[in-house]
Amino acid sequence: MPEITFVESLRMTLKEEMERDPSLMLIGEDIGRYGGIFGVTKGLLEEFGPHRVRSTPISESAIIGSALGAAMTGIRTVAELMYIDFTPVAMDQIVNQTAKMSYMSGGKAKVPMVIRTQEGGGRGNAAQHSQCLEALFLHIPGLKIVMPSNPYDARGLLKTAIRDDNPVMFIEHKLLYATKGSIPDGEYLIPFGQADIKRKGKDVTIVAISYMVTVALKAAARLAEEGIEAEVIDLRTLVPLDFDAILQSVRNTNRVVIVHEGCRTGGIGAEIAAQIQEEAFDYLDAPVARVGALNVPIPYSEPLENAVIPDEDDIVRAAKKVLYRG
Amino acid sequence: MATTVIMPKLGLTMKEGTIEKWLKQEGDRVEKGEPLVEIITEKLNFQYESPASGILRKILHPAGKVVAVTTPIAIIAEEGEALPEFEASKPDVPKEAPMPAAAVQSERKEHRERIFASPVARKTAQEKGIDLSLLKGSGPEGRITQADVLKAAEKVQTEGVKPSVPAQKPEDKIIPLKGIRKIIAQRMTDSFQNTPHFYLSVEVDMSAIQDVKERVKDEVEKRAKVKLTLTDILVKVVASALKEHPIINSRFEGDQIRLLEEINVGVAIALADGLIVPVVHRADQKSLTEIASAIRTITKKARRGKLSLEDVGGGTFTLSNMGMLGIDKINPIINPPECSILGVGRTIEKPVVRGGEIKIKPMAWFTLSSDHRIVDGAAAGLFLSHIQKIIETPAFLLV
Repeated sequence: MPEITFVESLRMTLKEEMERDPSLMLIGEDIGRYGGIFGVTKGLLEEFGPHRVRSTPISESAIIGSALGAAMTGIRTVAELMYIDFTPVAMDQIVNQTAKMSYMSGGKAKVPMVIRTQEGGGRGNAAQHSQCLEALFLHIPGLKIVMPSNPYDARGLLKTAIRDDNPVMFIEHKLLYATKGSIPDGEYLIPFGQADIKRKGKDVTIVAISYMVTVALKAAARLAEEGIEAEVIDLRTLVPLDFDAILQSVRNTNRVVIVHEGCRTGGIGAEIAAQIQEEAFDYLDAPVARVGALNVPIPYSEPLENAVIPDEDDIVRAAKKVLYRG
Repeated sequence: MATTVIMPKLGLTMKEGTIEKWLKQEGDRVEKGEPLVEIITEKLNFQYESPASGILRKILHPAGKVVAVTTPIAIIAEEGEALPEFEASKPDVPKEAPMPAAAVQSERKEHRERIFASPVARKTAQEKGIDLSLLKGSGPEGRITQADVLKAAEKVQTEGVKPSVPAQKPEDKIIPLKGIRKIIAQRMTDSFQNTPHFYLSVEVDMSAIQDVKERVKDEVEKRAKVKLTLTDILVKVVASALKEHPIINSRFEGDQIRLLEEINVGVAIALADGLIVPVVHRADQKSLTEIASAIRTITKKARRGKLSLEDVGGGTFTLSNMGMLGIDKINPIINPPECSILGVGRTIEKPVVRGGEIKIKPMAWFTLSSDHRIVDGAAAGLFLSHIQKIIETPAFLLV
């Protein structure tokens, strides 16, 4: 089992899937000769040629529109949008076209299409290149949302996403690209809607996504030093959502902290908290806590950015609060 | 034409009233003279009758609100009629009036009546048969957590007491705290917590006063058509003593003490659902006949629920006679803003020593509770022995 980075895992997966399905096409800005700004598609142009690895002009609407048209006509497509911050430029294509085609055609048109993009702060990229916008797409029926937290999951989930006949938002995190993980030799797929219990615990449930899984695990280790056993759940996909995993954990711990990097207001935490109180009210011993970014654009200044984005301390504090300690 | 219902002024001293209960809902038809709303003042419960016929179009202040007198509280009008505009639900009470604080306090109290427990604590309590109302929560703002319930359940188990299953538990009868009961609860708590009480007792020989009663009772009955009681005579005695001891007839006013010109003696009377204190105004200037007849009139009104604020307001001293219940001695709680109260026990024949001989005498315990901020032990002692002196030698009433 070799250790590879998140970026290598994605690249390997794209390559394998392109070999497996000769119709699979990649499309996006700078994904050809340049290899994508994070290097995910490096070498694929040379291997598969310009018909299957297409660099586009700077037009997010055009990227998504072309990908959608290709997908509807049977060409499985992975479109790359450099930053999730740019998805609003293509919002009509994503929200009104991509998400709805299957439904509006009564199921006659399939949309085998993946939108790969990345989000998150922590790199001083300021307000227009650091957002976490997954909640925008959570509100749009017709889109699946995948948010891998490690190289192993990235591979298994990307394969499932590519082979899915429905549009999938595959949202990566820029701080995860360099992280390493071991990958088994053989092929594996991770089905959507299966959360991963990253750490077992009986005292408090911490539900996290994407890069915040890493932060939550660090927080859980710190809590363990104080005798608090936190259970950390990596949701892996927001749509479909493995609510059963959350429910089962909440029934054991009676306490929940939901952690995401996007701002708290209207975030995924709000949706999960609402569902928990609907389905597990009698199991709660404390109000559901949410840890998320402050409700402001991400500041350029590093100290301010750090203050806005949730960290280990915030998670530890929230866990103790729902445990009525400290 | 739309009629605006205002908080009525039920007595000279009434500044505000609490809306206890709306007897009609918005949209109900109401006839003039029909009971519309229950109002409580400091002293009594009152059913206010509708001043007009029509539809109760708007309730401006919900039950529980304290509202200054003359504040609009509701609008009665016909269907479709335009309504005058009033600000709803914000009692327009002057800032310096003391009652808003009390209102806030009572609101907070009601707030506390809900038991704060986490959902899983409630569920666990139900499963284990633990009464949440008996637990003290360790969570924020006293929230009962699952740990609190489990701890209580464990305690029940280790102490060998079988946890009672809710179904088998006999239902307790609940009496909601409202009306006179609520006022008594608030005022007595306030008095007992905030007034430094002290008590002096003396055993009084009742033979002479009993003799007086026997001699005059027929005459009183003839004049006032009421039966003279010992309480009536005691009111007269107390009023006379108060005149000599103005400090007992005073009230505490923060940075000053007010010696009251009027001597108004209240008499605690038990009712089926509480008690009232009819006040004999200017008791020092009234004859025994007048006192007896005043007390009887007010009591009758109370039993029919027709008390006015004047009947029970303005007291400067209270007398509580528990003799007829066979009680030997009581230490009463001061009825604020008064500064003293006299508790009288039963009269019973006892052996007493007089001039070296044992004699049988009708004796009764008198206990004076006083507010030590105003009254010192010596002053209270002088007052109480003055009362004793009059009772044992009624001729002093003439002095």
